[in-house]
Amino acid sequence: MSTSGRAGIPGGLVAAGLLAPAALLFAVLFVWPQLGLFLQSVSQPAPFGVAQYQRFLGDSYYMGVLVNSLALGVCVTLVTLILGFPMAFLLARMESRWAGLLLLLTTFPLWVSAVVRSFAWMVLFFRSGVASRMLQGTGLVPHDFQLIGTFTGVVIALAQVLLPIMILTLYAVIRGIDRDLEHAAMNLGASPAVAMWLVTLRLARGGVLAGSLLVFSLSVSAFATPSLVGGARAHFMAVTIYEQTLELLDWPFAAAIAAILLAISLVVAFSYGKLLGDARSEVR
Amino acid sequence: MAVLTFLYLLGPLFVIVAASFSDTGYLTFPPQGLSLRWYRAALADARYLNGFFVSLKLGGTVAALSLLIGTAAAVALTRFSFPGRAFIEALFLSPLVLPGLVLAVALTLFFAANPVVPPGMPRLIVSHLLVGVPLVLRVMLPVLRRVDRSIEEAAQNLGASPFLAFILVTLPFLRPGLFAALALAFIFSFDEVEMALFLGSARDAPLTVVLYGAAQMQMDPTVAAVSSLLILLALLMMVAQQLYAQR
Repeated sequence: MSTSGRAGIPGGLVAAGLLAPAALLFAVLFVWPQLGLFLQSVSQPAPFGVAQYQRFLGDSYYMGVLVNSLALGVCVTLVTLILGFPMAFLLARMESRWAGLLLLLTTFPLWVSAVVRSFAWMVLFFRSGVASRMLQGTGLVPHDFQLIGTFTGVVIALAQVLLPIMILTLYAVIRGIDRDLEHAAMNLGASPAVAMWLVTLRLARGGVLAGSLLVFSLSVSAFATPSLVGGARAHFMAVTIYEQTLELLDWPFAAAIAAILLAISLVVAFSYGKLLGDARSEVR
Repeated sequence: MAVLTFLYLLGPLFVIVAASFSDTGYLTFPPQGLSLRWYRAALADARYLNGFFVSLKLGGTVAALSLLIGTAAAVALTRFSFPGRAFIEALFLSPLVLPGLVLAVALTLFFAANPVVPPGMPRLIVSHLLVGVPLVLRVMLPVLRRVDRSIEEAAQNLGASPFLAFILVTLPFLRPGLFAALALAFIFSFDEVEMALFLGSARDAPLTVVLYGAAQMQMDPTVAAVSSLLILLALLMMVAQQLYAQR
């Protein structure tokens, strides 16, 4: 490439110089600590053992935490998908000049810290908050009922926090679908609904899966929203890791739980990368 | 359906802003009365003000350093070919798919055993760089790959050194991308709470950490006032970004 030459510095040296700061940062503060985390998680019984993992997997309380987090991931993914798909479809197909503004409004919550957005839900969810009072008004729940500290409350809040990400993912995919294919299906006699089902949804399938995996991964490992809206008894993975690290100072155990969470994220990330690759080759 | 989804997305932000003006000693929606007393209380509270300046300093430093380190790496990854390039790119982008909390725990254990970076602000900065640099890379790699190299080569044929040609010809094309990357890294660092909670010291607590602690304690209207100010700030940043993009 046109890199060496007139300045007299070999290209390889320039590349190494440009990469050096990032390489140093990642070697010392990413690779080493992640490796350290893993080694710490398998340090007992010394010198190498999986006692911490056995402790997690053998304890019904911690297994409950894992199941709870996975269930949260599934519920939040479903809610964001059901609300996000029609919204993304509308935004992608709108030809009005308002479409840009609406897309901007949809993504606005992403500019605000998750702490602030979770606090907003706390205001709605506490005993005399609007949402809790409305539920109390139906008579289906006791009159001192509050949504704070409930699984449902965490799902509602976290789905709102992650919905813009789902909409953005789906929006990009739906924008990329050739509308002529839909028109062609209708010309061949399909009703708009059938054309939508046969063409658009099929082509958006990769995006739906990619968005779902992304939201699922973020939900399973979410911390701020589950810990604030879920209250003191929030049994979720990230909250448990926080307690073990900063409150109980049981670092080998915290490392093992973190490694389990990491493994879940990596599996999801690899399927995401593979799906995205498949989706791209499919569109081509 | 779409209207309800909008209400769901933006309603809570509206509720918190409205509730912050309530003239009651507790948080309530719809607000009762109208007063700025909780804003006065928030601005008089040194924790919030200090937290705001810590967050500003943190976000600014992280954004600037991420831009420098990330753009340099992006140039190396797009302009040079060397063995392991794809692997290095994947490695540099990988923190974006890992849970922030896992990064935070790993760094907490790491710094306890190897105090290579002084505690407090420096630790917060370097740990945020682990996500700031990948964010810059994600913006700059495609931007750099799209740049038309022929103009740069023309400048070199006219006698400019490769470095000068890059600075004079290519850099102006990169400006929108650089601005977007800078904004993204700043917002990430300014809003981040997990690593800040694990690695920050009490004296250097960023605003998100102060808010997180206060929100856990009680339903304090002051928290709503600070939250509303942050929502206003986010709105201003979004408008500024739009104006810049449409220029």
